[in-house]
Amino acid sequence: MDDTKGSNPHASSLPGVLGAIDSAVSRLESVLLAVGVLLMALNTVANVIGRFVLQYSLFFSEELNRILIILITFAGISYAARQGRHIRMSAVYDALPPPARKGLMILIAWITAMAMFALCYFSIGYILKVASSGRVLPALQVPVYWIFLWVPVGFFMTGLQYLLTAIKNLVEDNIYLSTQVLEGYDDDELEV
Amino acid sequence: MALTIFLIMIVLLLLGFPMMIPLIVATFVGFIMMFGDISKMEFMVQQMMAGIRPASLIAVPMFILAADIMTRGHSANRLIDMVMKFVGHIKGGLAVSTAAACTLFGAVSGSTQATVVAVGSPLRPRMLKAGYKDSFVLALIINASDIAFLIPPSIGMIIYGVISSTSIAELFIAGIGPGLLLLVLFSAYSMVYAAVKGVPTEPKASWGERLSAVRSAVWPLGFPVIIVGGIYGGVFSPTEAAAACVLYAIILEFVVFRSLQPADIYLIAKSTGLITAVVFILVGAGAAFSWVISFAQVPQQILAAVGVADMGPKGVLAVISVAFFIGCMFVDPIVVILILVPIFAPVVNAVGLDPVLVGTIITLQVAIGSATPPFGCDIFTAIAIFKRPYVEVIRGIFPFTVILLLVSVSLIFFPQIALFLRDLAFR
Repeated sequence: MDDTKGSNPHASSLPGVLGAIDSAVSRLESVLLAVGVLLMALNTVANVIGRFVLQYSLFFSEELNRILIILITFAGISYAARQGRHIRMSAVYDALPPPARKGLMILIAWITAMAMFALCYFSIGYILKVASSGRVLPALQVPVYWIFLWVPVGFFMTGLQYLLTAIKNLVEDNIYLSTQVLEGYDDDELEV
Repeated sequence: MALTIFLIMIVLLLLGFPMMIPLIVATFVGFIMMFGDISKMEFMVQQMMAGIRPASLIAVPMFILAADIMTRGHSANRLIDMVMKFVGHIKGGLAVSTAAACTLFGAVSGSTQATVVAVGSPLRPRMLKAGYKDSFVLALIINASDIAFLIPPSIGMIIYGVISSTSIAELFIAGIGPGLLLLVLFSAYSMVYAAVKGVPTEPKASWGERLSAVRSAVWPLGFPVIIVGGIYGGVFSPTEAAAACVLYAIILEFVVFRSLQPADIYLIAKSTGLITAVVFILVGAGAAFSWVISFAQVPQQILAAVGVADMGPKGVLAVISVAFFIGCMFVDPIVVILILVPIFAPVVNAVGLDPVLVGTIITLQVAIGSATPPFGCDIFTAIAIFKRPYVEVIRGIFPFTVILLLVSVSLIFFPQIALFLRDLAFR
């Protein structure tokens, strides 16, 4: 499987307490991803069985999936950033000589980090707006803004990963695609 | 404004930014140009959330999960084995089998990359041993795997259906005709190739062997029955069909074949979650992008500049085909669909084109573009999986591109290739 090889997939490049927090978040993200998908499968399958066998749909099924897909997406973008798994068109980049690649990678990581931090800030604004509207999910009866709480966290953690990637490329000799992945060595991965 | 946004997007894409960034930055710039400051930015987040909200998108992670389970299990090999027993002995039989197995696995999984891995990996060594040239083998695997785009389930079609408000069920059914036509033409080319190059044929299987191969492939063949039969018969919505596939895949690989251990499901789910996140952040960013350009009337400006309104339905289809073909030569198909579908939406409505036909043509172009140099994404999948240099991977692609272009022209002039089955099922 993808990230069980190598040393510790959750290892952090931050020192001390920050590093411990970072790798704890990485673990949490990977659990959220797996459990989120399994719950979603269970929920969707149960709904189908309910509808066909018992003639009865789960009243909360759609809302639960809506919560899960947000959780999966925003836990996943940060996890994908750690593992260098975001889709990119790297043909031009790959054709450049190493010093240019390193500079470009720093620029890419830096701008991506800034965009993610900006989205983190804007999503907090969005949550406050939804919270002040006082809307609740009709079936589950929970405030709508709850389902977005992981969104700014996901954006922030993703931004942090890219920022760390930029710094790592600045201070070390090798070129890093992400905090976890060195350029060019891990070529058996693929997005399906 | 349109020019600025698109320039930014293209430059960031080509420089190798993660693909969400060109969309996000272009949307930022669009917002600032429209509103003058960043006071409305939470609106962008709202659009992203709205983009990943539609319930029918849940079919995407479910089909990915089912495919992920099967790619690691035994389903693919059993399908390959069955096809080989039936057509392996004809001229070019191995190549025809590869094309057919790719199509069948496409009907099971809906992902081109999964098809390259599951069918291409076991069959390539056998074809090389039989005397096929690697450039032909690689091109065949890439292009035949792209049939998976058209054969239901198709992740590209789900995303097109959601953002253009088109029936995903009808799209799925409409993709079958062109998908099978491609299979026939690829097979014909393979037979000609094998005859010209004098590739030896395989021994013919007896009917007893065939029967036992069918028997062991009967379980995986249940997937197309669930998906096509379920949707065709109006029993399942695409999301329900996807859920049924997940359940079926779990029963198959964990209980019947026992090819996977219970603990594997956790890692499979994690890998599915990762792929889902990467796709969904693009869908969300694409929704925000499409909102901002629609709000600023950018599609209308572009379409007017191209003069597309005077071209008539066939002309519009031709322009759409070319745009998607070129787009997919450079970037990931999902990104192309997210960017271009909203741009063409006004003109598709204006000339009264059938959105199902448009969706099928777009999906076909996506399949062609993904396999076409310089940067078609499946070329890079093949490079990564088979560890062959770029030049060798693309050397044999040209004849396939010709066949694909032939089919796309036919589809514009004979839309019944796609719509026949749809009309039979839904009209």
